[in-house]
Parts: sequence; structure tokens; C-alpha cells
Amino acid sequence: MSTSHVLLGLLAAGPRHGYELKRAHDERLPCARPLAFGQVYATLARLCRDGLVATAGQTREGGPDRTSYALTDDGRATLDHWLGTVEPPMPYVASTLFAKVAVALLVADVNQARAYLIAQRRAHTQRLRELTALKTAPAARIDEVVAADFAIAHLDADLRWLHTTLDRVTDWHREVRS
Amino acid sequence: MRPATLLRLAVAGTRTDVARVLLTALSAALATLAGLAALTVLSVVKPPGDAWTQSEQYTNALLREPGLRPGVAFALLLLCVPVLGLAGQCARLGAPGRDRRLAALRLAGATPGQVTRVAVAETGVASLLGTLAGLAVFLAGRRLLHRPDAAGRLPLPTDVHPAPVAVAAVVLGLPLAAALISALLLRPVATTPFGVVRKVRTQAPWPWPGALILAALAMFAAIRPLLLWYERRGAVDPDWLVPTLLVLGGLTAMIGVVSGTGWISYHTGRLLHRHGRGPAALLAARRLAADPWAGSRTFAALLAALIFGAGAAGMRADFQAQAELTRRTGSGLADPDFFLGAMDLVDLAVVVAMAIAGGGLLVAVVEGITSRRRAYAAQVATGVPRATIARSLLWAALAPAVPAIGLALTVGYLLVRGVMPAPSTGGFAQTICDAGTELCGDPATAARYTRTEWVPETTIPPDVPWDQLAWLAAGGLAAVLGTVVAGLLFLRAATSVEELRST
Amino acid sequence: MTFLQARGVVRAYGHTPALRGVTLDVSEGEIVAVTGPSGCGKSTLLHCLAGILRPDAGQVTWRGERIDTWSEAARSRLRRTEFGVLLQFGQLVAELTAAENVALPLLLAGTGRRAARTAALAWLDRLGVADVADARPGEMSGGQQQRCALSRALVTEPRVIFADEPTGALDTLAGEQVLTQLVRLAREQNTTVVLVTHEPRIAAYADREVSLRDGMIDHTGLGLDPALPGGSR
Repeated sequence: MSTSHVLLGLLAAGPRHGYELKRAHDERLPCARPLAFGQVYATLARLCRDGLVATAGQTREGGPDRTSYALTDDGRATLDHWLGTVEPPMPYVASTLFAKVAVALLVADVNQARAYLIAQRRAHTQRLRELTALKTAPAARIDEVVAADFAIAHLDADLRWLHTTLDRVTDWHREVRS
Repeated sequence: MRPATLLRLAVAGTRTDVARVLLTALSAALATLAGLAALTVLSVVKPPGDAWTQSEQYTNALLREPGLRPGVAFALLLLCVPVLGLAGQCARLGAPGRDRRLAALRLAGATPGQVTRVAVAETGVASLLGTLAGLAVFLAGRRLLHRPDAAGRLPLPTDVHPAPVAVAAVVLGLPLAAALISALLLRPVATTPFGVVRKVRTQAPWPWPGALILAALAMFAAIRPLLLWYERRGAVDPDWLVPTLLVLGGLTAMIGVVSGTGWISYHTGRLLHRHGRGPAALLAARRLAADPWAGSRTFAALLAALIFGAGAAGMRADFQAQAELTRRTGSGLADPDFFLGAMDLVDLAVVVAMAIAGGGLLVAVVEGITSRRRAYAAQVATGVPRATIARSLLWAALAPAVPAIGLALTVGYLLVRGVMPAPSTGGFAQTICDAGTELCGDPATAARYTRTEWVPETTIPPDVPWDQLAWLAAGGLAAVLGTVVAGLLFLRAATSVEELRST
Repeated sequence: MTFLQARGVVRAYGHTPALRGVTLDVSEGEIVAVTGPSGCGKSTLLHCLAGILRPDAGQVTWRGERIDTWSEAARSRLRRTEFGVLLQFGQLVAELTAAENVALPLLLAGTGRRAARTAALAWLDRLGVADVADARPGEMSGGQQQRCALSRALVTEPRVIFADEPTGALDTLAGEQVLTQLVRLAREQNTTVVLVTHEPRIAAYADREVSLRDGMIDHTGLGLDPALPGGSR
């Protein structure tokens, strides 16, 4: 799962400490493995080095150093680019889709989210069609059919999840935005 | 379960359920009327005198003769048979909807016994409504029809009323009987939470209806020889012998004819399949072979009425032969016109019975269409024209009806022919007085005018009453045709596309 | 000339609106899937296109002619000559054998018994269910029943086949068999197919997909409100 993109997304709402970032990540993406602090700071360091994130200030409140990190313009652009790109459903998508949908609904403006979702669904259904045609071709070998079935089952699950999620979007939207 | 709850569950339902309750009540009312009329006739007080004294207060000879009154009462009671047949038909109307409701009750936690009680309560309540209505009509009718003529004589026995105990027995007993019968009929039905499961009948129809018919004919034919046997030994035949043979033989004949219809339906289906052309015949043939009992259930009451009608026609022919005999030989039946008049009444009763049976037919046709409407709607959706479905239903009704009606008429006629041999008389000398009554009455003058004549032995076999039987057959066919056509009017409404929606 | 077209079709059941102005164009030889959640009106749209139902407003055109104004008899004839209809269940006559069921449209058109039976057996063979030709629907599995029903829809060599959730009552493999054969035979004869389903993997057998929601065409495919730029409902 692309942790760096998720962290970029979590910073889009405003600057945050590393500790807050870890907590936000674990809360908003409960199915993912909880992030270790070491991983958070390592990723933040890498993002700083690439110029996507900058330190925003230091506060000292009777505890360890708490550095705030904020999104740079480059970081914003990278995030937008990631959100605007459809995950190629090849062979299947799994948790990347989850992350992208979660972040899209969390940070993106609604037009962006909407465009992404429509495009992603179209890609999924197109891929389903290709796999089905492959499966029903007269010369298909049994291992080709079995592999196609596997991919179809997962893509089908993705689509169902997408539909169900959108049907719940009102409540989720409210909760995520708070 | 509290009685109030039972009542509430029993009367819950849709429009079809309301129709079913109303029809059941109607048949109960008719049966009550027939029963109360019979009881009234039986309770006419015999005036003092010997066993043959007539009750002079009535204009109708049927009511005057004490010997005939039990027969009249019996005939009225026989009218109950087609009415009860109608009630049985009505119990099936809307059955799928009611079965779903019962299944839902089971799902909600009712025990099978409780569910049966709900269904039985519905029949009982409907019948009770009917009997009370019948009682009301009877009492009102008695008041209205109490019309003494100039001499103070009454056309109908409106001056007597049956014993209150007997009335209560009819008014309360009929609903109880209906409830018991429906409880019995529901026993092979298992109500599970997933639906009502009826024990499926085996494929081949009951194999020996012919044997039953022969047994009935034998029972009727045995009456005269038995009576003669008693006579020869100088003993009196027991009171119960003749009525028992009559009733048993009649019932056996009816069961034989009705189950014969199942056999006829099945084989008609196979014949139609082999020789029929066109899709309508094919659909009809397969439907008949798949469910041959549908026809016998539907036609039972009509066939029973036709058996009686044919028997009455046979008796009428017999009386006509006796009248002819009297005319020719001067001896024989004293007043044949009276008996012929009585036969008119019996014919009227037969027509009424056929009309009631027609009502039962209509109910059965409508129920058949509505219970299979989903299948019909699917067929219409895939391109089978409604006209073809209608024609197949007509074929499926008429093809077995024609032989069944023929069978019923034959059996009815033969039963009566078995009991009553050709009227004959003669072989003795008879004295005839040629002058008028006055001269003949006076023994002094009578001797001059009397002569002795030898009456030769004459036997007049009664004609087979073809025209009457033809009328009966035409009536039966018209009833079948009419009810199927009327039922087909439901077809368009019943096969609308809404039936295809599975949600 | 358009092949099969619905223009502004409106249809309600009593007070419940099922279609609220649907416009759809189907080209010859294509396989179109009509998808959407339950209650969105896709079956109703299929019934209107096939001439089973008359729309309350709008028109349905077949080869340039309006068929929504035709009489019931004419539309019924259309359904057994040029259109073939395949439903989820219940379309086989329970009392007839499979061969007789398949032969029924031919018999209705006036073909003799023998010729109709021969044609029926040929189609049953093509669909791999020749061994149940003389069995009744109640004696077959669901997959065999649907393949018999498909034979019946194909026996008159129709121009369009309308299939309403044909695999809804079947398990995955049985449904796959039915659909594969439907698509294969349709492509062989250049038959158009309009397929109604709510499952994405069934819709994947089609060339293109049309989504409905609440009685109208849904271009987003996800039930997103088309009017609002928001997207959340």
C-alpha cells in the first residue's frame, strides 16, 4: 500500500505532527496494518527530501520534540496526480483501490472524487469484459479460464464494494470530514 | 389461543378470501333452506284416522298424502348434495393465497394444530353466517308464503313449524359438520413455514370405477328380487332394507361415476395427444394427463345431478307406460297424471341442482385459472396468444365432459330400469260397468250393465326417454361451456405482466 | 433506419413509476446489458422494448415502425416470430415435455407436428440438452431448464432476444453455460441481444452496458446524482 500517498492525503487538511499522522492513519484506514512510528518518520523524511512535504514549525510542550509537517505545492500536485490516476485493474486491485477511494472521499474536492470514481468503474467494467471474452473464447485453455475466473471474482468484489460504499457515502462523508 | 385471536386470524384476508367466505355462506344458506324445508314437510301433523288419511289443509297432493311426504323430504335433503359440493369447491378458491398466509403464521411461531384451527374456524364462521341467513330467509318466507286460498287451504306447509330442537340442530349442526369436514380434508396437508405441502396423488387414476358402477347397478337391481323373496316367504321386509339399498346404491353410483371421470380425463388426454392437431389441443392433452382429478372434482356435483335427472326421466317414462297400460286395459295405476305431475317437481329439483352445480363449476374454473396465472403470464410474455390458452382450456373442459355426461346419464337411467320392470298387467277377468256412475252405483240396476271381460296379459315396455335425456345432456354441456367461457373472461386480467414481477 | 429504439418511454404500475423517460438505441447485432439495482425499472424497460407492455408515454420503434401502438395480437405474433424472450423462470409449460415446449412457437405458427419436433430436437442438441428432450421441466435441473427455454427462444430464429435475468436462479457454472451459448449463438446468427441483469459479471458478457436508476438512464453508472456536481446524494 502506498503509504507515502496516504500521508500526503492526510496532510491535505492542514499541518500535522508525526504522532497525529499515525493516529489519523490508523483510525481512517482500520483494515490496513497499523503504521509503526518508525515507518511514519522514515516516510516523512523521504517526502521532505523529495520536496513534497516541509516542516512547518516546532513546538515544545513539555515533552519530546513535535515537528509539524505541511504539504508543499509539489506535494499537492503529486497528490492530485495520484488521485486523478485510475488504478489499472491488472490483474486485480485490492487495497490500493481502498486507499484511493478513502483518500478521495477524504481530501479531494467532490468533482475530483466523482470524476475518479466514474473513471475507475469504467476501467473495471472494461477489464471484466476483456476477461470474460478471454474466458469464453473457443480456444481457451483450462488454466487461462481459471486465472480469468480469479481476476473476475476479485474485480466483481471491488465493484460491489464500490457501489455499496457510495450508497453509504453520506454518513461516511460526514464522519471522515469531522 | 384466545377465541378472539382465532376469530381475527380467521377473518383476515384479501378480496378472494372474502369471495370464498361469501360463497361458502351462500351454499350453507341454501343447504339450510333445503334442510328446514324438509323438516317442515316431515312435521306436518297427521290428522286422526288411519294410516292413509290425507291432510286436507293443503292443495298440493304431495303434501296431502302421508305416504309421499317422506319421499318429498328425502328429495329436499338430496338437494343438499350439490350444495355441499359447491361449498367444497368454494373451500378451494383462493387456496394458494390462504396457504401462504397459513405458512406465514407458522413462520411467526404458530403450531400446526393452531394453524389448522384457524383454517377450520374460517369455514365454520362462514357456514354459521350462511345458516343464520338461511334461517332468516326461511322464517320470512314462511310469513310471506302463508296464503290460504278461498277454502282456507295452503299451497305450502306454512302452518307448521319444525321442532325448535331440530331447527337448532340444522342451524348449528351444519357449520359444525362443515368445520369437521374441512378439518378432515386438511389432515393430509402439512403446513410448514415454507409453504403448504399437499400429499401428491399417484399418477394413474383409480383403476376400478367400472366395478363400483356395476356394484351400484347390482344393488338397485337386487331390490325387487329381495322384496319378492320376502313376499314368497310371507315375511315383511325390514324397514331399513329398501332405503339402505337405495342410498348405498346411489352413493356408490355417484362415486363410481365421479372417479370414472378421472379415468376418462386421463385417457382422453392421451387420445387427444395422439390425434389432436395444433398447440391448443397439445396443451389441453398434457394438462388432462397431468391432473386428471381436476375434472372429477369440478364435475362431481353436475354429474350427481345428471344421474338423478336421468333416473327421474326413467321413472317418468315408466309412469307414462303405466298410463298407457291403464288406458288400454282399464286397470293399473289409478291416477297416473298425479305421478306425472310429481315428476315435474322432481325435474324442477334436478334443474335447480344443475344450476347450483354450475355455480360450483364456475368457482372451479376461476380457481384453476388464478392458481396458475404466473405460468400463463410467462407463456403470454413469450408469445403464446391468449386465444390459444383459452382454446386449450375449453378443450380440456369439454373433451372429458362429453363422455362423463354420457356415462352419468346412462348410469342414472339404468339404475331406475333395474328397479322397476316393465309395467304389465292382465291375465285375469275384469268386470266393467258400461253405464254412468249412478246406475252402476245402484246394485239393482248395475247388474244389467255389467259385463265380464278378459284382460289379456299386456306388458308395455317403457320407451327410452331420448328427448329428455338429450335435454339433460344439452343442459349439462351448456353448463360446462357457459362456465368455462365465463371463467375465461378472467384470463386477461389474470395474465397481466404484473404477475411476472418476482419482487 | 434505426433497428430497435425506445424514446422517452414512461411507464408506471398503478401509482408507482417504473420508467420516467428512457431513451435507448440498440443497433443490429450488438449485445447490450441493462443494469441497475432492483426496482430501477430494467425489467419494465425490457418488457416495453419487447412489446409485452405498452408504455404510458413515449414510443418504441422496431425497424422504423412504432410497435407500441400495435394490437395485442400483433405484438404477440412479433414475440414468437422476430423476437425471442427468455425469462428467469416459469416460462416452460410444466405439463409439456422439453421437445414439445421448444416446438410450441412453431406449432403456433402453423407448422406440422413432425416438422416442429425435428426442429426442436435439432436445437436441443445444439444446446447440449438433447438427452432430456422427453422429460418434463420438473424432472430437470435449473440449468437444463434454462437451456431448454433458450432453445425455445431460438427455434424461430428471431432477430432480437430479450433476456431478463436468465441466470438469476442458477449457480455460477450453470449460468455461465447458458450465457456462453446465448452469446455464441447470437454472434453466429448476428442476433441482437438485450440482457437485463444486476450482476456486473453477467453484464460483462455484453458489448456495452446501459445503467438505469430510479427509472432513468444513469450515465455515471454508480447512482451518483447527475445534476449535482457534488456526486454525494
